[in-house]
Amino acid sequence: MSDEGQLSSWRFDPVQGQYVPTDTRRPRGTGEISAIDQFRSKTILLLGGTGFVGKVLLAMMLDRFPELRHLIIQVRPKKNVSGEQRFLNEILKSPPLQAIVERIGVDSIRHRTSIVEGDLSAPMCGIRAEQLAALTDTVDVVINSAGLVEFDPPLNESLITNVYGIQNLIELVQVLDAKLVHISTCYVGGKKSGRIPEDTPIVGYYPGREGPEDRRFDVTRELEWCEQFIGETEDKILLRDGGMERAEHWGWINTYTYAKSMGEQLIARTEGLKYCIVRPAIVESSLAFPFPGWNEGMTTSAPLVLMGGEGVKAWPVRKDGSLEIIPVDLIAAGILIATAAVLADRGETVYHLATAADNPIMLPRLVGFLGTNSRYKHKHKTSGNKLANVWKAYVETEVVSVSQLAASRKRVRWGLDLIQATFNFLKVILGSRIMNSYLRNLRITRRQLRQQEQTLDKFLPFMVHNSFIFETGNIRRAYNLLTPKDQERLQWTPEDIDWADYWVNIHTKGIERWIRPMFAKQMKALEQSINIPVS
Amino acid sequence: MPRILSARTGPRRTGYALVLGLVTTCAYYARNDRFVFKSINQFVKVLTSVPLFLGLDLYSPTLCNMFFFRAYRGMHRDRLVGLADDLFEVTLKPSIYTHSEALVRQTRKLGYRTVLVTGALDFTVRPIALHLGVDDVICNRLEFKKHIATGRVLAPLVAETAKATIIMAYAELENLDLNACCAFSDSTSDIPMLTATGNPVATNPTRRLRRFAKGKQWPIISLSGSDQADDFNPFPPFLGSGPQAMEATQTPI
Repeated sequence: MSDEGQLSSWRFDPVQGQYVPTDTRRPRGTGEISAIDQFRSKTILLLGGTGFVGKVLLAMMLDRFPELRHLIIQVRPKKNVSGEQRFLNEILKSPPLQAIVERIGVDSIRHRTSIVEGDLSAPMCGIRAEQLAALTDTVDVVINSAGLVEFDPPLNESLITNVYGIQNLIELVQVLDAKLVHISTCYVGGKKSGRIPEDTPIVGYYPGREGPEDRRFDVTRELEWCEQFIGETEDKILLRDGGMERAEHWGWINTYTYAKSMGEQLIARTEGLKYCIVRPAIVESSLAFPFPGWNEGMTTSAPLVLMGGEGVKAWPVRKDGSLEIIPVDLIAAGILIATAAVLADRGETVYHLATAADNPIMLPRLVGFLGTNSRYKHKHKTSGNKLANVWKAYVETEVVSVSQLAASRKRVRWGLDLIQATFNFLKVILGSRIMNSYLRNLRITRRQLRQQEQTLDKFLPFMVHNSFIFETGNIRRAYNLLTPKDQERLQWTPEDIDWADYWVNIHTKGIERWIRPMFAKQMKALEQSINIPVS
Repeated sequence: MPRILSARTGPRRTGYALVLGLVTTCAYYARNDRFVFKSINQFVKVLTSVPLFLGLDLYSPTLCNMFFFRAYRGMHRDRLVGLADDLFEVTLKPSIYTHSEALVRQTRKLGYRTVLVTGALDFTVRPIALHLGVDDVICNRLEFKKHIATGRVLAPLVAETAKATIIMAYAELENLDLNACCAFSDSTSDIPMLTATGNPVATNPTRRLRRFAKGKQWPIISLSGSDQADDFNPFPPFLGSGPQAMEATQTPI
């Protein structure tokens, strides 16, 4: 519980794994930066306010900073739906904003905000000339949280938003004569283990780089290569595979981080641009704001939690590794701290927003949590195969090595082949009317297993191949420069996250509530797509 | 989400009921450990300790409490937190009185802040608090070292009479007038707490508390739903009573 009141004599220290007296004093901010003053006197342009992070960021600005001078939100219009309509009907009615709307009212929000239509992938981010003229000399800082967060999209799709979009963004920021806060990802560091610093030079970076003299990677040359590849390749799957191969060739873990790193490099090499790059780790359900457990979309660790809930028992993770996850409300607070620092001309180039440096959650513990969730779900489940439910409820999850996992997959496949052969034999004897439903179920099971395997494989770089600890000294220093009043509104306290409470009571329940229905729909569509003709 | 406060109160029940309630909870955790042999070992230890707890409880409920929590020694906090919802469904939810939720709703509707004061442990109480919709919880906490329970409870270990002190401290901190507060309990051990508030209510009371409440002219209510005696009344008079009050609480706030 985050808010325990003064009556509590104890608070749980998740790092030490024990209760400590609540009267332990924390250092207060020095007050060298006042976020309240900065936001009172400056105008902010937000790009990507419709995304998972963007919505929470927007909600936090509106809720925590009534002094905010003006916030301009760029919204991409959809077919027959204007940006303004999307803002009113989609964004303000979304769960994270709804609570804020109820608290402060639509009028108060409208008074402090305005909407511009646009699209990151168009020149000047799609902002019309007359609107652009109105924004020039008005906007002080642009916060960009727009981006494609899919790990392995076709290369061309990833570049449109995460690289070419950044070129458009840079042009816009230069025309507006504003500062830039760009949201990237910690994983631009690539395949590496150990502590990842924040001061590695950005331009010319690739994960295998041997030093500043190593100039093998150049973003202009790399984009030429990409354009040639995209021009020669039409097939979506080849574009997907090609992107992943190219990313791995340089040492990135996937197309997403490869493209994000190129986007960063475009920003960093622009002369005269005042900017900071905020790099979140794996963004997860909210800890407390706007309410505990808010989550959106099938991204980050949601597929893993859903798989755990489905009863997956063998998890290939490093026993000595931690998973760099961070609640979305800490990300929103971190972005606003960095923005205040940039506005006050005290910004650093890079801010890692991560937890493992202060309060790591070790992977074997997460495997245990996935097990207790499966236990609860299947123990109280009234539908489905009873025997399977018992197995999923009472067999404990376990940490396995990659080779053990491969062997177990082989055994499962062999078993399913045997069952299929038996069913096919019985089909000849008993007829297809009886056996078709069994064969259909078997095919669904096979496809579900294949999907699980693919999902798990995507996460192997985070759970097995590398063990990242992102250094977070810059955001900690910026937080310490805030005024105590700012610190009440923007808390950067990853050391306080009680991972057991967070994972079991907040994150898992958030995913079950907000993501599971979407996942169930996908599963149903998958089942409906499988038909076995009666022959 | 309710706040969980670490100030400790005495147990809500006395005698065998207390011991058996605590044993059921602890036995659940013991037999659901991640490792089978550890699970068997812990479960046997809890079962064989029951006679000792019963004897100790007759001598001193506080001492019994102290000894009892030793049964948690060696359990991992992750597991205790992870199994709390299941424990609630399996063991605790079935034993919640039928009209308890209605009572909480009614008090909240009338503007009371509801505080659950219990000797149970924080992770066990959490789902109950959420189920009932209370605002704050005052409960016990186990001591942990590197996430492993040591078997001790965090100080101050409060005996039954200390419950009154705790709610006084709470009222002072939250700027509440205890004379305007009401307290509900079923046990004589809670008499000091009941007396500390302006509106004490004996709720499904033990025989001794019923006698005491009658002497003090405190309202006596039953939340069990099965009690259909002539004097059956789901709520005390100051909260409204009879069918109207029951109907008023049917829709959640």
